[in-house]
Amino acid sequence: MTGFGDRILGLGLLVLAVAYGWAAQQWPEPFGGAEGVGPETFPTILSVVLVAGSLYLMIKPDPDARWPVGKSALELLVSVLVLVVYALLLEPLGFVIATTLAVGTLSWRMGAAPKRAFLTGLGSAVVVFVLFNYGLSLSLPAGLLEVH
Amino acid sequence: METLGFLMEGFAVALTPYNLMFALFGAFVFCLPGLGPANGVAILIPLAFTLGLPPETAMILLTAVYAGAMYGGRISSILLNIPGDEPAMMTCLDGYPMARKGRAADALAVSAIASFSGGLIGTIGLIMLAPVLARFALTFGPAEYFALFLLAFATLGGITGKNPMKTVIAAALGIMISTVGIDISTGTQRYTFGVLELYEGIDFILAIVGLFAISELLFFVEHRMGEGREKMQVGKLSLSLKELVTTIPTQLRGGILGFISGVLPGAGASLGSFISYTLEKQVVGKKGRFGEGALVPMLTLGVPGSGTTAVLLAMLISLNITPGPLMFTQNADIVWGVIAALLIGNVLLLVLNIPLVGFFVRLLSVPPMYLLPIVTMVAFVGIYSISHSTFDLYFMIAFGIAGYFLRKLEIPLVPIILGLLLGPEMEKNLGHALVLSDGDWSILWGSPLAIGLWTVAGLGLVLPYLVGPLLRRRMNAAIKESPVSD
Repeated sequence: MTGFGDRILGLGLLVLAVAYGWAAQQWPEPFGGAEGVGPETFPTILSVVLVAGSLYLMIKPDPDARWPVGKSALELLVSVLVLVVYALLLEPLGFVIATTLAVGTLSWRMGAAPKRAFLTGLGSAVVVFVLFNYGLSLSLPAGLLEVH
Repeated sequence: METLGFLMEGFAVALTPYNLMFALFGAFVFCLPGLGPANGVAILIPLAFTLGLPPETAMILLTAVYAGAMYGGRISSILLNIPGDEPAMMTCLDGYPMARKGRAADALAVSAIASFSGGLIGTIGLIMLAPVLARFALTFGPAEYFALFLLAFATLGGITGKNPMKTVIAAALGIMISTVGIDISTGTQRYTFGVLELYEGIDFILAIVGLFAISELLFFVEHRMGEGREKMQVGKLSLSLKELVTTIPTQLRGGILGFISGVLPGAGASLGSFISYTLEKQVVGKKGRFGEGALVPMLTLGVPGSGTTAVLLAMLISLNITPGPLMFTQNADIVWGVIAALLIGNVLLLVLNIPLVGFFVRLLSVPPMYLLPIVTMVAFVGIYSISHSTFDLYFMIAFGIAGYFLRKLEIPLVPIILGLLLGPEMEKNLGHALVLSDGDWSILWGSPLAIGLWTVAGLGLVLPYLVGPLLRRRMNAAIKESPVSD
């Protein structure tokens, strides 16, 4: 079936729009009564617009895009995972170690030689760390490397 | 005459060696590609306070950072297709294809000059208009502002995508994101789900960095695995004086248009660059220069009132000055100091830009497999140093993933960002209008000015739908005819 992507998106947006609009109707009347507009007025309008838009998408979808399959889908998942793990480890491991690992892994997966990739990671991590902590005095977490 | 006197005082402040030093520092450091003006300024505002800089020095530093970062943003827009901030998004549309044709150096040089003339026109306009501004702003009521915002979204339809309905969806999504948080006028918690981090709403910087930088990384990963990516040929600077001269009318139009939309509070940044981009596309398109990767569209970066107003606002708010028509009388000294700083910043940047084009181009010939991870890391650093919370980082990644899927499905990202930025103002103006009219909705189209804006907005949304297919057919034909094709 063509237009599969748009139909799925339309369905998702329709659910979102209805939930968004419904939630707006549940808010308590603001203190002092409604003066022209309440907190729900604007969201209600938006919800109606999005319902119309999502229905249109489902009725008249555009042709499908080419979705990644196999290896490139896997590489995409790996990249997202690296980003999430980077955010997760930034504070416990400290900026320099976490960045070396994250930048290194990313550029290695993008096709750089592993050694050069991780050296790039280390180099950029140290430069940015020094620049921010000493140059701009905005502290990035030192983590394991913290001097007590 | 009084105006000139103020300006001279502003210059005296801005030109002291101490302040000049900060200006140079700011302009240089934040030229680094990938660190957009929004990030640059956001990082620097806290810094200016921690260092205890006097207000005028702080302002000059921020102005220089802003100008430097704008240039940096253009570099990454042109060479990597990552816009540094929202006015620079337009740069991607034409700068990137130009760079792919090996004319990156030209694109950078033109963008430097365009932004100089744009900035200059904007600043001169501000100086001339300042006294009139107060009176003019008063004729625009809340209903007119509301219609103006709609117009901003409608103009996007023509340029950002093939399917206007997808523009509408994107704009609605953006505005919806902007409604998260505590409602300013009533204090109601909206869509916060009890999460503390959501009470103050979603920072648009998170969304911009996530939707663009992170999704760009994902796109690169996908395509490298698929068919590989073209190597960027930078090429020599082959821009002749004659070519530059041909862009002057465009720069003038862009500058003036940008300035006009720039002086309308809240409408400034993005609106100006979009409208002038669309206009130029039409004007230039007729002369048949459009298909050849014309230099002209670069002017959009030059839209002055645009980003400049945003920075002005950020600076003013951080200095505890309420922006508005009254500030020209109440805080005249500071306002004129800022204006002088803007002028100096513009001159400084032009002087730095032209000789540095070669340097930046070399900087960016670093292969993307090293550069993109580093840019991503800088994005993490920028977001992390705003609030020192990893929560924001997860949010940014989520925006990145969403951006990837939306781009795949051809939902344009620009209206989302615009919706996020303009949403709160739109709602505020809607509220004010309805309070003024006692809940009568017809006030929204109750004045000739408002009706005019609605009409143009409607046309902007419908016309591309009717004319679009025809135009695209013609463009395809033109591309086939010309020997220089993509």
